[in-house]
Amino acid sequence: MPELNVGADQAAVKLEDVCKTYQRDSQSIPVLEHVGLSIPQGQFIALMGPSGSGKTTLLNLIAGIDRPTSGSVLVQGTNVTTLSEAALAKWRSRSVGFIFQFYNLIPVLTAVGNVELPLMLTSLSRKQRRERALIALRTVGIADRAEHYPRQLSGGQEQRVAIARAIVTDPQILVADEPTGDLDAKSADEVLDLMQALNHQFGKTIVMVTHDPRAASRAHSQKHLEKGVLLGA
Amino acid sequence: MKWIPFVLKHLRQNWIRTASTAAGIAVCIFLFCTLQTFVAALHGSLGQGAARLITRNNVSRFYNLPNAYEERIAAVPRVTRVAAANYFGGMRDVNNPDSEFANFAIEAENFLAMYPEYILTESERKAFLGDQHGCIVGRALAEQFHWKAGDAVQLTSNIYRTGKPFEFVISAIYQTDQTRYPGTNESTLFLHYKYLDEMTGRRAGVRTYRVEIADPQEAGVVSHAIDDLFENSDAQTHTETEAQYRANAGVLGGNLVLLLNGIGLVVMSTLLLVTANTMSMAVRERRTEIGVLKTLGFSGRLVLGLILAEGVLLGVSGAAVGLLLGGFLVDILPVVPVIGDVVRRFPKMNVPPAIAGAGIFIGMSLGLAAGLFPSVSAYRARVTELLRQT
Repeated sequence: MPELNVGADQAAVKLEDVCKTYQRDSQSIPVLEHVGLSIPQGQFIALMGPSGSGKTTLLNLIAGIDRPTSGSVLVQGTNVTTLSEAALAKWRSRSVGFIFQFYNLIPVLTAVGNVELPLMLTSLSRKQRRERALIALRTVGIADRAEHYPRQLSGGQEQRVAIARAIVTDPQILVADEPTGDLDAKSADEVLDLMQALNHQFGKTIVMVTHDPRAASRAHSQKHLEKGVLLGA
Repeated sequence: MKWIPFVLKHLRQNWIRTASTAAGIAVCIFLFCTLQTFVAALHGSLGQGAARLITRNNVSRFYNLPNAYEERIAAVPRVTRVAAANYFGGMRDVNNPDSEFANFAIEAENFLAMYPEYILTESERKAFLGDQHGCIVGRALAEQFHWKAGDAVQLTSNIYRTGKPFEFVISAIYQTDQTRYPGTNESTLFLHYKYLDEMTGRRAGVRTYRVEIADPQEAGVVSHAIDDLFENSDAQTHTETEAQYRANAGVLGGNLVLLLNGIGLVVMSTLLLVTANTMSMAVRERRTEIGVLKTLGFSGRLVLGLILAEGVLLGVSGAAVGLLLGGFLVDILPVVPVIGDVVRRFPKMNVPPAIAGAGIFIGMSLGLAAGLFPSVSAYRARVTELLRQT
């Protein structure tokens, strides 16, 4: 895997001339057009824009769950566009934490079981996995609900568990797709506090897609997308 | 191994669906094991006596042959022994048809020499041969009726009606060697043909001649030679191997084995479709979850393996239940009214290890095949497509 040492001054995420076009039957639908973006280490940025502007697609490219039609995506020095599917999956498991709008916890697993899930891909013992998962749950302030199933948790609590799952492998980058979109104002504030804490205390680089200006205001900077074009770039 | 709890938790998620799918597979494997055990018992009984032929009346097995044929059959080249054997149709209680059990009138000396699977000590053999009213009974039959050597037995034949019961003394309880001669019937009574013939005023006739030949490879040639001998007589003969005779008698004239296998195949195909549909539904409902797993770094292969493992576990657990049910049914069949009467005519049945193994393998394959389509579909699906379902 081509990987570079990333210094504090080097961009955590660097997109160069990225285009993404979806093919629907015989139609080509451009979603991102010549996007260039550089996110420094430890930054917390908010991606904003109307529906269909390409925010989630851009986030997916950064998280390595989608590939650009052209251009390059470098994350922590790794050109994710050149990796094979298997290598990309392995890279995702180590390098990026994903926070979904609807939490997407596995319903048959307890909170701690959900947080342990990414660690199942490592060679850690069961005990070590459990210890690390509990640390992550403590970090997000929900260790007392470790043995609860998702259906026994509130939306805010579920999102905290999802954040614990995203940070349990200690990735340098967190990507969040509308993390407060399904939460009431109070829970949303708590989740945003937590994300800010992760950014400040642990130096995580966070890329957050949001429609909510209040959520976006918590970020260091805001980027706006309009019809697949990054404004002000 | 670390993934097994994960797979089990998913199977427990919708336990009604899991249980009903496993129950479906269990029924399939239960049918398979029961039918195949029956077929194996049939084959076991057919496999015996490769060097023995049976000659009967060409019209039907219910017509007699003249006693005079015996010497002429014995004179056919490559024939080493001949013994008359008639089904006696003896009942303990003439008013109770259920009291009938397997019993044959035989020309004992030659018959016992031809059938080494019925084991007697030399003194028991002598006692039986020396007493025209003597009879020998199988161990299972003796246990069933609490008989022992020396007991007097009265039987009334529903074939040979003489107006009075036949009286016997049990000369010996014959033993069997199920290792050397698997499936040997332990529930038969053998009496002297001579006694039957005398009691019927020499009109008993011969239903079958048991013919021992020197070389099993020559069964066809010898059969033709015997039948050719009586081609122009009033009572033409039909000679076949003992295996063919038993097949025709036990299989009620049709190809029961083919029918049973056909039923099994249809049931399994149907179950495969039902299970595959259920598995597909289960996986379809979890598309987002699969997308999440892939986002977390689970490779397509791992996801494929986890879904296949669910199918295999479902199949194996269903098969295990089916196997237990099948074993239980095979055990109790002989005491089930009506069916038991038929089953008791066959050697004692057990689910053989090979069939049990095949049952588990089929259950596993059913689960694997059922899980194949949804797992390949999940393997191929792109993460963004899976997450878009949300």
